[in-house]
Amino acid sequence: MEPRVRIEDLRAGEDAFSLSKVVKREDVKAYADASGDQNPLHQDDNFARSVGFPGIIAHGMFSMAHLTTAITDWVGDPRALKRIKVQFRAPVFMDETLVARGRIDQVDLSSGNVTLSVWAEVDRAGERQLPVKNSQAEVELS
Amino acid sequence: MNYALKGKTYQEVSFTVDRDRVLQFCDAIGEDNPIFRDPAAAKEAGYDEQLAPPTFPTVMQIMTSGQVVMDEDLGLNYMMVVHAEQEYEYRRPLMVGDELTAVPRIADAYARGSNEFLVIEAEIKDRSGETVVVARSTLLSRGTAGG
Repeated sequence: MEPRVRIEDLRAGEDAFSLSKVVKREDVKAYADASGDQNPLHQDDNFARSVGFPGIIAHGMFSMAHLTTAITDWVGDPRALKRIKVQFRAPVFMDETLVARGRIDQVDLSSGNVTLSVWAEVDRAGERQLPVKNSQAEVELS
Repeated sequence: MNYALKGKTYQEVSFTVDRDRVLQFCDAIGEDNPIFRDPAAAKEAGYDEQLAPPTFPTVMQIMTSGQVVMDEDLGLNYMMVVHAEQEYEYRRPLMVGDELTAVPRIADAYARGSNEFLVIEAEIKDRSGETVVVARSTLLSRGTAGG
């Protein structure tokens, strides 16, 4: 598969991608079964309330999966993804719109390496929250 | 938490990348790219087999990390633990049929402020012994330092 982006067209500081999805309760339940992470924080509203949340929250890895989908959709070839490191910093509640975003930090034409700042954001009562922040990805385009 | 366990290795875990499990995972994360869902589409795009999505190694990690977080010598209170960071270094994408092994290791264990951090590393290898992906998970135990 050919990459969808060409390294010659990329500039440091530019936005790379933005991909939105609405986080649905049934998807988080399906994720618990598919991943094997059956922590009640992601399934049981009463348990989630007992530890201070208004209801269940999505798995951090659920948000990271959406972020990597955004990256591989953008780059075209999943083999190009060489490294990703994320920090989970805020919860994601049900029916929120999760937006995966990336910005180009460095473009190395000789090695083909492109580093990106990546994050995931939600709008919560008019305020931007960052469930995934301080995170980087590295793709190789040559 | 017992910081002296930094460097401890655990029992090797085996895992085969199963086609149905990959499809189930794709459904759960909303992945509709055919190279992750259909072997014919993957082959047409130039891959040997249907690929697994980049975060699929978490399925193996959840199996892998159980023996670490439940280690009585470590003294982790799992109810206080959240997933703080995740890192993957890919040497190649995971594919359906890959027979993988990993030996989980405590790469780091430390306190910062009132919180404690545990870094579990797993170098996931294929049948030929080649590393496919290195996974590092950082777990945060809230407010347990000094206890």
